[in-house]
Amino acid sequence: MKIHKPATLQEAAGLLAADDSAQCIAGGATLVAMMNSGVVEPSALISLANISGLNEVTKASDGSVIIGAATKHKTVAAFDSFSGAQNIVGIAAGKIAHPPIRNMGTIGGSVAVGDPAADYPTALLAAEATFEIVGPAGSRSIPADEFFDGFLSTALAEAELVQSIQLPAGPENAVAVYDKIAKIDGDIAIMSVAVVMASSGDRCDYLRVAVGGCGPTPYRVAEAEVKFINGDLDVAIELLVAASDPMSDVRGSADYRRKVLPRVLRRALITAQQMGGGE
Amino acid sequence: MSDTLTYDLNVNGEIETITAPAEETLLTVLRERLHLTGAKRGCDQGVCGTCTVLIDGEPVRGCLTIAALCEGVEITTIEGLATPEALDIVQQSFVDTGGIQCGFCSSGMILTVSSILKSNPEAGEAEIREGISGNICRCTGYEKIIDAAVLAAQQINGAAR
Ligand SMILES: Cc1cc2nc3c(=O)[nH]c(=O)nc-3n(C[C@H](O)[C@H](O)[C@H](O)COP(=O)(O)OP(=O)(O)OC[C@H]3O[C@@H](n4cnc5c(N)ncnc54)[C@H](O)[C@@H]3O)c2cc1C
Ligand code: FES
Ligand code: FES
Repeated sequence: MKIHKPATLQEAAGLLAADDSAQCIAGGATLVAMMNSGVVEPSALISLANISGLNEVTKASDGSVIIGAATKHKTVAAFDSFSGAQNIVGIAAGKIAHPPIRNMGTIGGSVAVGDPAADYPTALLAAEATFEIVGPAGSRSIPADEFFDGFLSTALAEAELVQSIQLPAGPENAVAVYDKIAKIDGDIAIMSVAVVMASSGDRCDYLRVAVGGCGPTPYRVAEAEVKFINGDLDVAIELLVAASDPMSDVRGSADYRRKVLPRVLRRALITAQQMGGGE
Repeated sequence: MSDTLTYDLNVNGEIETITAPAEETLLTVLRERLHLTGAKRGCDQGVCGTCTVLIDGEPVRGCLTIAALCEGVEITTIEGLATPEALDIVQQSFVDTGGIQCGFCSSGMILTVSSILKSNPEAGEAEIREGISGNICRCTGYEKIIDAAVLAAQQINGAAR
């Protein structure tokens, strides 16, 4: 195995393109665990640590927030200039594992793994994030709902890298609720629900609900969001549960997930309403 | 074939020159090349916390850290806390409260508690519980570990006054 420490993302993409079994390494929290158990044997590690600007969170003048791909979970959890809908991402970051893993793991590494039960993907879907991607052929951007395209799979092509993730300003008065169900604190979720809700007066007029851990990717159901805004909580929950396609794994059976999901959804939606998201 | 790399690590304030295969983790280098066996290999998967060391004062998993990527940072292991004359405050408080039984988790626990108290000397029980939530102990039931951390906090704050 070789180790490379490129100074730019373009250079990193070039190194990845030149070697099929090279892998880039950010926090190493997932990749090195896989190397230790013999699941992967990279021919080279391409460290993202020397690329400047990749580990910063910045607020732009239009209110959007840009999170560099190598930003640690800890930094995102502590960022204090999120507003409204963006808060869902900071809350989710603070619920990833425990402090040492949050000192190591990065948002780019987390999304690149594409685990549907990870915390960021679900939150980023509810925040309507956009992913800035760099590859050998140039840059492109992808919305969150196209980025996660299958179980442990993303829209990243060979040798493409995440550069940053942009969170639009969204409604300023939005409240954010992230409900993570796990066997023990700090474990990967059995399921999670991310709610972003805003109101004018006491009436909810904006809702994004994302469900994680209940299908091959986290998902939203636009029709369910409309039903809820029109006052039909029960139908909204039914639609979201109907769209689930849970797996059985060591953390819970598919049946268990189907039984618990409607209850978690109800709790999260009602909590958001009570926080001022609107009746 | 793996490249053998030569690089410098700053471990407990000493510069150590390492020659090792590129994929070796910090835990392996510390234990098998520098013979600093305080950090333990429990799971090698990031789950248990027995391999905890501090990088620039923050707890990380030695088992998930590639050693060759640690040039230029300060690494602190449990061997770096005490002086030849005395244990440091956190180590002594673990002894005094019975926060150590088999000892397998102790290096990681003590380093983690040290870093919590360094960044927040006012840390109370809630902050301590959150801070050590990534470290598993199979023996003590945690209560005496919390007692040890609270005692250490009192002594650090007392000493500062
Ligand atoms: C004990 C433990 C508990 C955990 N608990 C949780 C949890 O509760 N919730 C949760 O969401 N996650 C959890 N995780 C996963 C954790 O958040 C990881 O940090 C994260 O999934 C990977 O981030 P990383 O920076 O360490 O990536 P790495 O391990 O460095 O890389 C992972 C993969 O992503 C690729 N990659 C890295 N950066 C980029 C980039 N910028 N562009 C493209 N590809 C990239 C790498 O090539 C590699 O294939 C846990 C991990 C451990 C070890
Ligand atoms: S050995 Fe590193 S966390 Fe268990
Ligand atoms: S003292 Fe034995 S594992 Fe903690």
